[in-house]
Amino acid sequence: METGLKIYLLELGATVVGFARVDEALQGDIAHLRRAVSIGVDRKLNEDTVSLLSALQSRAAARLKSDGYRYLIIPPDSDRISDTCISKLYELFSHKVAATSSGLGWIGKNGLLISEQYGPGLTFTTVLTDAPLVPDEPVNSSRCGNCTLCVVHCPAQAIKGVNWSRSEPLRPLVDHDRCRAQKVGTRRVEHKPNCGLCINICPYGRKSPYRGNISNNDLEEHRCPSIK
Amino acid sequence: MASEERTKEVFAKLKEAVVEYDEDMSKEYAQIALDEDINPNDAIFDGLVSGMQEVGKLFDAQEYFVPELLMCADALYAGLDILKPHVKQMDLGVKGSVVIGTVEGDVHDIGKNIVKMMFDVAGFQVYDLGRDVPLDKFVEEQMKTESDLVCLSAMMTTTMSGMQKVIKDLKEKNPDVKIMIGGAPVSSDIADKFGADGYADNANNALKDAINMIGSLKKMKDEAEGKA
Repeated sequence: METGLKIYLLELGATVVGFARVDEALQGDIAHLRRAVSIGVDRKLNEDTVSLLSALQSRAAARLKSDGYRYLIIPPDSDRISDTCISKLYELFSHKVAATSSGLGWIGKNGLLISEQYGPGLTFTTVLTDAPLVPDEPVNSSRCGNCTLCVVHCPAQAIKGVNWSRSEPLRPLVDHDRCRAQKVGTRRVEHKPNCGLCINICPYGRKSPYRGNISNNDLEEHRCPSIK
Repeated sequence: MASEERTKEVFAKLKEAVVEYDEDMSKEYAQIALDEDINPNDAIFDGLVSGMQEVGKLFDAQEYFVPELLMCADALYAGLDILKPHVKQMDLGVKGSVVIGTVEGDVHDIGKNIVKMMFDVAGFQVYDLGRDVPLDKFVEEQMKTESDLVCLSAMMTTTMSGMQKVIKDLKEKNPDVKIMIGGAPVSSDIADKFGADGYADNANNALKDAINMIGSLKKMKDEAEGKA
């Protein structure tokens, strides 16, 4: 059923789907849910994206349920939902843990989930389940290398330039206060809701004619095709 | 007015919606109940609440775990929100308002929310202070709303001692107020020592007790209407 579920979700419009073994990441009331289905779409976070992801995860959940398995849906914008009973469990799990554990990418220096193919612009959602899905190979360390584009260009200088590794989950990558202050400032001045520079500047998955042509060399020297 | 057979069918569907944690179905049949002139009180108690009692049994039998229980509670709320505005004030012999919250320093509030649901179903005016509530706030809110009942919850032994202070302050200001305490570290000894009027011990029992209390409300309603 594993490949079946993956193909099903991809056909319904998911960009990437991965299965993660998450036994160690879970505790208490959800410890019995040993697998995470991580679903990503190549769209920025807005209402349409949220409803697409919600639809995808409902379909995944319905399928798991009809096969007799338990599940817990963690919605894409879980931090904004607090008026339901089930929302109390959302904070026990993060979408990024599911995505890295199922090998869909790593956490970049900018603190965002980066997919080798699609870059940092994916939006993720997660379904936890006790179905015995065969887990994908996790990504355990950063593949940002020596690239410091996001670090150098962050207008708030909020990015510390540290490479993420699963073995050091508590090491801070981004100064969130600075990042937030910057976003609040941009909103006031330009009436744009977000900054997003660290997404757009990332060489991975950049939507340009050069997409897919980034060699390690480019990364090492952080010399990027469109930035001289 | 729907036939007796149809009414029973709608109740069965509402029950199924709660047991199967299907929010959409719960909304759909709550609306059908209204459209077909079925008594909303009966729809709540013979449909939604009877579903929650079934959920209690499944939880007891460990067929359902906490995530399922919470999803069922959300399904119940989905139907309740539609039916409640059309409910005539029930006379269950108990009524009034209740202040509820998890004490300062404690962010665990699953049990509290299930207990809150019970009061919502019973038609209480519920003043939910949320979690991590400063101790003075309970007293202040009780005075302001003149509530008959205050429910305090704590999940950790370190925060439990805060309850004793709240109880003392409440009883000083208003000796008639009834106080219930609940949470994992609470026992009947502690309830006596703190001067509380009622208690529910560990989280699982608190959830079960809450569901049982909904059940007894149903019985009271039947008795009040001379059905039992």
